[in-house]
Amino acid sequence: MRTILRKVFLVDLLQGMWVTFRTQHPKNIVTEQYPFERPKIAERYRGAPRLNVNPENGQTLCISCDLCALACPEALIVVGWERNPETKRKDLITFTFDTSRCMFCGLCEDACPVDALELTQDFELASYSREGAIFDRQILEEGIQPKKYVF
Amino acid sequence: MPDDPKPEGTPSPESAPSPEAAQAPVTPPVAAPVAAAKPPAAAAAKPPAPAAPKAPAVMASTAWESDLAEALSAEFGGDAPECLTYLGQPFLVAKPESIVPLIQHLQDAHDFDYLVDITAVHWPERAEPFDVIYVLYSFSRNERIRIKIRIAEGFKPLTATMVHPSADWLEREVYDMFGIEFDEHPNMRRILLPDEWETFPLRKENSILKMDQRWVQENLGIESGQ
Amino acid sequence: MAETFLDSTELVLNMGPQHPSTHGVLRVIVKLDGEKVLGTECVIGYLHRGVEKIAENRTYTMFAPYVDRIDYIAAVSNGLGYCLAVEKLLNVEAPARAQAIRVILTELNRIGSHLLWLGTHALDIGAITPLFYCMREREYTLDIFEKYCGARLTTHAFRIGGLQYETYEGFEKECLAFCDLFLPKVDEYEELLTGNRIWRKRLIDVGILNEADCKAFGVTGPMLRAAGCKWDIRKALPYCGYEKYDFEIPTRENGDTYDRYMVRMQEMRQSARIIRQAVEGLPAGPITAKVPKVIKPPVGEAYVSIEAPKGELGYYIVSDGTTQPYRCRVRPPSFVNLQALDKMARGSLVADLVAIIGTIDIVLGEVDR
Ligand code: SF4
Ligand code: SF4
Repeated sequence: MRTILRKVFLVDLLQGMWVTFRTQHPKNIVTEQYPFERPKIAERYRGAPRLNVNPENGQTLCISCDLCALACPEALIVVGWERNPETKRKDLITFTFDTSRCMFCGLCEDACPVDALELTQDFELASYSREGAIFDRQILEEGIQPKKYVF
Repeated sequence: MPDDPKPEGTPSPESAPSPEAAQAPVTPPVAAPVAAAKPPAAAAAKPPAPAAPKAPAVMASTAWESDLAEALSAEFGGDAPECLTYLGQPFLVAKPESIVPLIQHLQDAHDFDYLVDITAVHWPERAEPFDVIYVLYSFSRNERIRIKIRIAEGFKPLTATMVHPSADWLEREVYDMFGIEFDEHPNMRRILLPDEWETFPLRKENSILKMDQRWVQENLGIESGQ
Repeated sequence: MAETFLDSTELVLNMGPQHPSTHGVLRVIVKLDGEKVLGTECVIGYLHRGVEKIAENRTYTMFAPYVDRIDYIAAVSNGLGYCLAVEKLLNVEAPARAQAIRVILTELNRIGSHLLWLGTHALDIGAITPLFYCMREREYTLDIFEKYCGARLTTHAFRIGGLQYETYEGFEKECLAFCDLFLPKVDEYEELLTGNRIWRKRLIDVGILNEADCKAFGVTGPMLRAAGCKWDIRKALPYCGYEKYDFEIPTRENGDTYDRYMVRMQEMRQSARIIRQAVEGLPAGPITAKVPKVIKPPVGEAYVSIEAPKGELGYYIVSDGTTQPYRCRVRPPSFVNLQALDKMARGSLVADLVAIIGTIDIVLGEVDR
């Protein structure tokens, strides 16, 4: 008898609808309005790569040890360096990082002995061409500058 | 599908996935001490499919002493599989012809009623180049064992589908990847790769970059998948 | 089929690979007599990436990020299975703290995976609302992953021998807060679905797979438990210290689609229970065992499996003593479970086929690898 009454008065459906209804209250809205509202990115986030420079003199921290390139499963980092005859140290000449193949696993970052290479919180990595996804030393040092659109 | 993880070649020097190429740029001599200092990296830079060092070093397995091993030797007499264990995981080495009767017997008499997996390993230097491995589990005994058979090129082991229907796709996958055909299998076709594909990718002679050039050109209309 | 005055012939229909309810790129060739399914055949491999071949060409450490991409919904479980297998080969065990954190993260991942399953499954059946709610709760688990290891889906959270990252500040609090928040939400989903007459009509007695068939087809995970077999690797062959936690294995008897739904709902509650216990008893101590920098397991082989959200996920690794695996086989639960589709779908209606595909909880990345 009770089940029939429940059936007739659509109790099961109304119950579900009530759940839907009470979630519509504005304080329950959790959607992020992305371009207007920037998401909070965790500190450890592995996003766009950056090659750190010494803030005092603008010199790169990278010691051209090539460890990151060898740690990378995709072998997408190329470190170009030259031996400086005066200081007997290696000078970094080029550094390319192909983000189109990168899986942001963080192994390169872990391998770097001087924390020169870092995966940062920037996540807007889209580019118009495949070539645009290959970062050279300049982009890596200055960081990506996504075009800002005004809505 | 390309054997290679990268979708298409990027027009840069590093598009070649081999790390040797990646070191090419402005690197003048001096590379030797650097490489020597970093064993992990040096090892990583090895070309694909490293040859097994020397004669295949052997696995330090020991004889497996258990009720099951004894029971099997009593039941099969001279044909009994060799019972070994490594890292606490027992495995049997059986004769290729007796594999299905053995699986059947393990199911009937010892309750190994769940076929977990079938896979293979290719050892090109060996006279019998393939290991086919069956993993079995018994719910009532809560025990897992592996059975291994060594087969020669061209040998067709009998299919296990009549004992465990789950062997169907697993055997097809072994065929797809290694080219080991299973006798009397109801549907011995490729499963993951396209039917017309020609190579067997998990054989050691096929490097990671190897693909069926003809198939790619005919079906995808591109010169190469890399 | 009963005779009709209409001329009826069999129809072969191609479903997928781009059908929204095939959850990826599964192609099912269905043979139909009217609305009735006479047989199905799956065509898979569209997402084949040769993961096992990649493994043979990478070092043990380097391969770890790739396993996340096998089942990208439950990347943490995949990572755990791989790390455990390599640890077995090396014969080391992760320290207690690392194990507890691994348990917390994999259980969070199980909840996330089941939530995504629930949302999409309900969407297939025709209920849109649960999808939004499930995504909302799943977001909290992803946030915890992001804060813990820096990525949301393909986490690469564990390393061979332990963990790379210590927990962040507030990790425990957030996990507990999630458990508190999550349990009432499960009730909410149940309120939406469990008693709903459409939901019940669409699921009860659809796609029955009994216990014997499950075992014959090697079906594991929630599908096996829904058929009444109380088997869970976490209890049967415990790893990562699961024997320390007090939880139940939910089972049902009928093995139909509705039972699988109920089992997964219960499992989410149990996972929350495990998380709470693990967080409360989180031991202090190191997070990595002593493993050499260059991972070079001795010659040998090992098969290690874990209870992934979808069933038994096994890794069979053969080492030849070098830094690269000689062979790395992934035993994917989805691949094996999908094999039972034909058995379940025969004799049902086309609309039920969608429900049955949904209930297997497949991820095509894992089916095809
Ligand atoms: S994040 Fe991973 S894939 Fe990307 S460059 Fe670093 S090591 Fe390579
Ligand atoms: S590991 Fe660090 S220091 Fe070495 S080459 Fe890479 S970025 Fe430079």
